[in-house]
Amino acid sequence: MRRTFWLASYPKSGNTWFRMLVANLRQDKPVDINDLPEHSGIASARGLFDNVMLFPSGLLTHEECDRLRPRVYEELARGAEQDDPDEPDTRIGDVRFVKTHDAWTYTDRGEPLLGGLGGAEGAILIVRDPRDVAPSLANHGNQTIDEAITFMGDSDAAFCGQRDRQPNQLRQLLPRWSGHNAGWLDQTDIPVHLVRYEDMQADLVDVFRGALAFAGIEISPEEAAQAARFADFGELKKQETERGFREAPRNSPSGGFFRRGVSGAWHDELSPAQVARIEADHADMMTRLGYSAPERHDERIAS
Amino acid sequence: MVALEHRIDQKADSRCSSSAAQRRYLGGERLFSYIVSGLGVSSEIALPGLIPDESGGSGAADIVIRGGTVPTALEGVTASGPTWQLAGDHFLLSIPGILRMLLIGGSEIRFETESAVSAEEAAIFVSGTGFGILLHQRGRIVLHASAVRVKDSAVLFCGPSGAGKSTLAAALVDAGYDLVTDDFCGLSIRADGSPWVEPDGRQLKLWQNSIDRLALAERRAAPVRSAIEKYYVEPRAATASALPLAAIYVLREARPPFAPGIARPNIVDAGLMVRNNAYRPAMVRRMAQMELYFQAAATIAQRAGIFTLTREINFARFPAVIGWLEAHWRELGLLERAA
Repeated sequence: MRRTFWLASYPKSGNTWFRMLVANLRQDKPVDINDLPEHSGIASARGLFDNVMLFPSGLLTHEECDRLRPRVYEELARGAEQDDPDEPDTRIGDVRFVKTHDAWTYTDRGEPLLGGLGGAEGAILIVRDPRDVAPSLANHGNQTIDEAITFMGDSDAAFCGQRDRQPNQLRQLLPRWSGHNAGWLDQTDIPVHLVRYEDMQADLVDVFRGALAFAGIEISPEEAAQAARFADFGELKKQETERGFREAPRNSPSGGFFRRGVSGAWHDELSPAQVARIEADHADMMTRLGYSAPERHDERIAS
Repeated sequence: MVALEHRIDQKADSRCSSSAAQRRYLGGERLFSYIVSGLGVSSEIALPGLIPDESGGSGAADIVIRGGTVPTALEGVTASGPTWQLAGDHFLLSIPGILRMLLIGGSEIRFETESAVSAEEAAIFVSGTGFGILLHQRGRIVLHASAVRVKDSAVLFCGPSGAGKSTLAAALVDAGYDLVTDDFCGLSIRADGSPWVEPDGRQLKLWQNSIDRLALAERRAAPVRSAIEKYYVEPRAATASALPLAAIYVLREARPPFAPGIARPNIVDAGLMVRNNAYRPAMVRRMAQMELYFQAAATIAQRAGIFTLTREINFARFPAVIGWLEAHWRELGLLERAA
């Protein structure tokens, strides 16, 4: 019997770091960053849908795909075999962790898109200060920081939502940075364990052990510390510099996926106006997640 | 060991034209006749994109496609998924909201559309998905591939949906190589052990963005479904003849650790690539045809060649990629070497 947990996050919030930690658990040397499953490792992978359904998602509209997606995740959670031996799951023992950037939404029949408890037992939701997400998202999408901030504030934002071509993944709705996190936190279909990127940086061993304990996996502090060393930002960046990373953004001027890996870099990456826009767009959720500095925001406007 | 089908239908050599599908009368009904993978097809509905049988389907059809009542479940199911059931030589596939298809013994597709869905809207699922699985049912080697003609041979481009098979074929057709097939491609191993390609279609299927980027607006025909922006595109030229297979290229995006270029994988990897690029790998496993595919891969690797073609997915790179391919075809002796 295998068990499934979502690794849910808004893009550029530490999801890949967490997957690297899982992959490096109980290893004797750092795993190759390009050995992480890519195509089948994300819930929105087109191949998962096509292999379970046996007809191509590419012939359906986004809405028609969404209506069927709960069936895909239920089937995979039940243990449907994968067809690509090159793409093993990210797993610890019998627990699979599946990355998703999808918002927690419901189909037009009222079912959770990701299948509710039938699709996964729970979710580890990773959140990150939106002021740090914005420059990272800009780098990833080869867009300006202002464009990234607009995207993060757009209720209709999505990845792979084009209709005039076949995007490489199924559409992922990203209805504002705030809305995305609110959707996951406020739904009552499956249990959620909240992890802040900043807390992972401050005390990785404890945060990682806590998240795995939520999934029913007990690891020792030494095991967590070892995984943390192998998935250390310097190690990941070194591997990317030496050999490249297949999940790196295409066409990005800086070219790298692992950029700075620090919290609070927004202090020197964002203009005051950009900071103000993000804080105004997402004040409530920032407060809720402990990122807010509305007083400073007010002061800045006042000054 | 499952026997391969060696039969090559001479009807497949009939000249391709752009005229509408020929019809014939059978039991008083008007039927459409096509040649798919060398097999004669008689269909109650028009199936755009397939090769019309110019002879009007004189002999008995190998495959019959008809509307009728399709059950919602089968008895004696041995394997199933959320939308399909396998029971002996019966395979039931539901495309919710559009149609259900019952595939029987590799020789019949019975379909029932959901209410308010027209036959035109359902046709692409019959001619693509239905046929692909039907060929699996017949024990055929059927790959998810496009193919073009290089002199007197066929070369295939494999990859999952979105790998760029159709757009590469479209660019090659424009560069002077006739279209052999799009989407799926049936292979047969002849008595002398040589692999052959049986053409399956005579139109490309391209998304609007690709049509725009490849400047093919004038060749655009009907949408494959009215709900999506993917269209049949009339190729400059297509061939309906069976051709010896010269090479299979597995398409990959140039991202670490894959460097751009054409390479020959080792035989084990090549075997896995062929199986993983079956039209529906799950069907190969469910129908216990793994051995069939490994044998075919070994034959293809020995008698033709299995390669990886790794390139940036970027329309601007097409001239360069076609240049690599032409250089490779000269190396393989498919094209004359430059003087």
